[in-house]
Amino acid sequence: MATITASSAPRALPGSLLRHRAVHKLLLLALAAAVLVPLANARWASGSWPDALTVDFSEPLAKASDWIIDNRDSHPLFLYFFGYVSNAVVISVHAVYLVLLGAGWAGVTALGALVAWRVAGVRLALGTGAAFLTCGLLGMWVPTMQTLALMVVAVLASVVVGALLGLGAGLSDRLDRALRPVLDTMQVLPAYAYLLPVVLVFGMGVPAAVLATVVYAAPPMARLTSLGLRGADKEVLEAVESLGSTARQRLLTARIPLARKELLLGLNQTIMMALSMAVIASVIGAGGLGDRVYQALASVDVGAALAAGIPIVLLAVVLDRVTGAAGDGTEGSGRAGWAYALVAAVAVAAAGRLMGRLDWPDVWIVNIAEPVNRAVGWMTDHLYSGVPVVGGTADWAAHFTTWVLNPVRDGLQWLPWWSVLLLIAALAWLIGTWRTALTAVLAMAAIGVLGVWGPSLDTLSQVLAAVAVTVVIGFATGIAAARSDRVERALRPVLDVFQTMPQFVYLIPVVALFGVGRAPAVAAAVVYALPAVVRITTQGLRQVDPAALESSSSLGATSWQQLRQVQLPLARPALLLALNQGVVLVLAVVIIGGLVGGGALGYDAVFGLAQGDLATGLVAGAAIVCLGLMLDRVTQPTERRTKKGA
Amino acid sequence: MSTDVMSVDVMNTESNTPVFSVDGLWKVFGPKADRIPADPELSSLTPAELRTRTGCTAAVRDVSFDVRKGEVFVVMGLSGSGKSTLVRCLTRLIEPTAGTIAIDGEDVRAMDKSRLRELRRHRAAMVFQHFGLLPHRTVLDNVAYGLEIQGMGKAERRRRAAEVVAKVGLEGMEQRKPAQLSGGQRQRVGLARALAVDPQVLLFDEPFSALDPLIRRDMQEEVVRLHREEGRTMVFITHDLSEALKLGDRIALMRDGQVVQLGTPEEIVGSPADDYVREFVRDVPREQVMTVRTAMRAGDCGGIEHPGALAADAVVAEAIKVVARSRKAACVVENGRCLGVVDHERLLDVVAGTELRKEAV
Repeated sequence: MATITASSAPRALPGSLLRHRAVHKLLLLALAAAVLVPLANARWASGSWPDALTVDFSEPLAKASDWIIDNRDSHPLFLYFFGYVSNAVVISVHAVYLVLLGAGWAGVTALGALVAWRVAGVRLALGTGAAFLTCGLLGMWVPTMQTLALMVVAVLASVVVGALLGLGAGLSDRLDRALRPVLDTMQVLPAYAYLLPVVLVFGMGVPAAVLATVVYAAPPMARLTSLGLRGADKEVLEAVESLGSTARQRLLTARIPLARKELLLGLNQTIMMALSMAVIASVIGAGGLGDRVYQALASVDVGAALAAGIPIVLLAVVLDRVTGAAGDGTEGSGRAGWAYALVAAVAVAAAGRLMGRLDWPDVWIVNIAEPVNRAVGWMTDHLYSGVPVVGGTADWAAHFTTWVLNPVRDGLQWLPWWSVLLLIAALAWLIGTWRTALTAVLAMAAIGVLGVWGPSLDTLSQVLAAVAVTVVIGFATGIAAARSDRVERALRPVLDVFQTMPQFVYLIPVVALFGVGRAPAVAAAVVYALPAVVRITTQGLRQVDPAALESSSSLGATSWQQLRQVQLPLARPALLLALNQGVVLVLAVVIIGGLVGGGALGYDAVFGLAQGDLATGLVAGAAIVCLGLMLDRVTQPTERRTKKGA
Repeated sequence: MSTDVMSVDVMNTESNTPVFSVDGLWKVFGPKADRIPADPELSSLTPAELRTRTGCTAAVRDVSFDVRKGEVFVVMGLSGSGKSTLVRCLTRLIEPTAGTIAIDGEDVRAMDKSRLRELRRHRAAMVFQHFGLLPHRTVLDNVAYGLEIQGMGKAERRRRAAEVVAKVGLEGMEQRKPAQLSGGQRQRVGLARALAVDPQVLLFDEPFSALDPLIRRDMQEEVVRLHREEGRTMVFITHDLSEALKLGDRIALMRDGQVVQLGTPEEIVGSPADDYVREFVRDVPREQVMTVRTAMRAGDCGGIEHPGALAADAVVAEAIKVVARSRKAACVVENGRCLGVVDHERLLDVVAGTELRKEAV
């Protein structure tokens, strides 16, 4: 603790004030600890979380789950509400799926390309067409259409729900205040945590998958709708009001059109998150591409996983670019263009139908699974271990596990439970406010109460290791990119692609490289979190006031001095934000890492789902939520709150 | 203040019901703002004291004035003096805390929502400092927006808008978006939008502050031209004294939410009400503002030729030219009758700013 105060205090500009405040906080905390720790120690002893303080939830949860399963077909709540919801979802997904199949591969490809052409121009239209054809070539046409059908329904529902919530929050301050913390929190929770509650109510299958996707993907739409409505130029609204408009006229003619950019960005984010979730939801029976990856990973069949993973990446990139271009571009001018596009798409679909070529022809399928598996086999034989000087990838993974993951995990689990809470409190309070510290401590304590202290600390150790690696690489890359335009230009396309890929996909290459275990899970998390950290760091450093830089170089500062004394201190809020984002993203993937042998909470959740033991799964899910909450609050800088309030 | 209003009333005999009549207007921001105008002790506090005692800020404090039909009424003051709040209170874009506002004798504060909308739609239109244009609409549709709000059909409102667009000199730019226009052109769109609804009063909130000096002068001349052509009543908010003197028939000078002086430009420059106003107008070229009516010595030039023959509202600068050319005193004439005489000494007094002291003695 002392090292953190010592290093952070002199760096801050109002040095003495901050040092005072930090010392103040620590002293207060030490005082509280001095009183409480002996008490706690005497009452419950040190070591792991005391049994006396845990509550066993598995029995009531199991009962609840049994009750739901027994009553699913008879209780009026299920018959008249959830049943209808579930049926509506199944019917609409199926209807979209049939339409997509009915249009045939040629029709769907043509429609996709023509929509992309109208929205984003010729280049993206070609890209879209090529992406669809690649899906077919890889033999993934049907799963792609399954995923797409699920996505269409989920995105439509998310957009409606999100836009309505956002509209409410944009117009009513009270609703905004109520909704904002909920949306903030939902944003930091790992996607996995959403799966279990919907499975509890709906059982495994498409309805649960769609609803989990909606719950996960609607928040960005709601948040950005509200932001757009609130961010409208005050003077424009005043001018509109001064002309005697009614509230409805103001909304329709001014506020919504002015929020167009945010609305389209919300659509973009919702689509991306829906894709990410639709893939993950394969573990609860979503089917489609995600399911192929899931099955392939379960049998460590990297080739098959890659064949299903490539279409996911292509879908992600195409969807992101096309919706992104819609947000940037000016309004589509020609209605005639759309009409032509539609007619052409229908014509292609009809032609495909008449020629009897609805299904992707088998002879056109390129089987990549086999060669890929051969390549992976070769890698396993030659690169896994025993490479002279550098060692092998499996060796690295083993070393990482032995020398980093194990000590961190054992260390955390060895620490007395109260000292873990104290550490969290101190860290959160130093970075944020007493409120964030309190939330963090309560969340961590809740994990203890749930009785999953041990596995949670295991997960936490993986997160810490991954975050450390991410931050070191991310900050270094970010600084390099901020200092050199060439590096930034080279990095940008890479970051763009990496940031659009769903979490699930990252598991494929790490399994190919490192096999299964905790180290691959950490590696996937690092790769997933890196782009965001690099990007935020670069932006933060680049946005440092140029006047401050100019004045320091006019005083003859070397570029190293400039970086250390001007750029880094001034970019501190951005660096903290990068850390915060890094932690949130790492956690999401470490949890999914349970699928490739990451163990701990992620494994419990998967195991719960797979075995139908929902009680275990739900407890693990709740612990994941608490862990996510704790990690976010500990790394939440004060600035973020104040900025949002302003 | 009331004496100022009266003295102006005497001068301007043709005034009938004022367009806007404001009396005892207060706008207080902060917790429990209502109590402050009602409480004589609180309402007499200085702004700083008020803020520390109650946490409230009084943006407009007990302001009264009338805006007459056809005049350009300028409210002028530095930033934070409450002038922008004041103009927004007139159509209740900001809800006043206390006092009365009447438009054509009708109480604005008593209006219900639909009546107030009616007022904003047809009787008073506003031009804003940062234009307040809708970025997603073309120039033509921006100008037609007020008519659209009123429920007018597309063809009709576009036809009317096109006329106004031509009137403010933007022909050929109808289909552009605001982002494609320069600042001056954007404000012409703002002006056209206000004119399109054919309002009884135009309200200007620092409309030219965001423009370059040269463009600003063009726009000021545009307003002068419009006023000359249409005779529409205007309330004009500005922090620029020269703009106020150039445009205003009468000027209300505000400080800390109060009107410290209300009068014609000549009255403000010629007889400042207090040191604040005096300091404010110190660098004004007086010969450009003062009229010969003030500068002249009463009396007759004793003939019917009226040597020099200056109109009574000619500014001193013109008189200087005439007197310098003829090297003789000039006669001030109104309706063919001689009012008085200006000579070198009188004119120099005005330029030097010494005539006040003589009158005060």
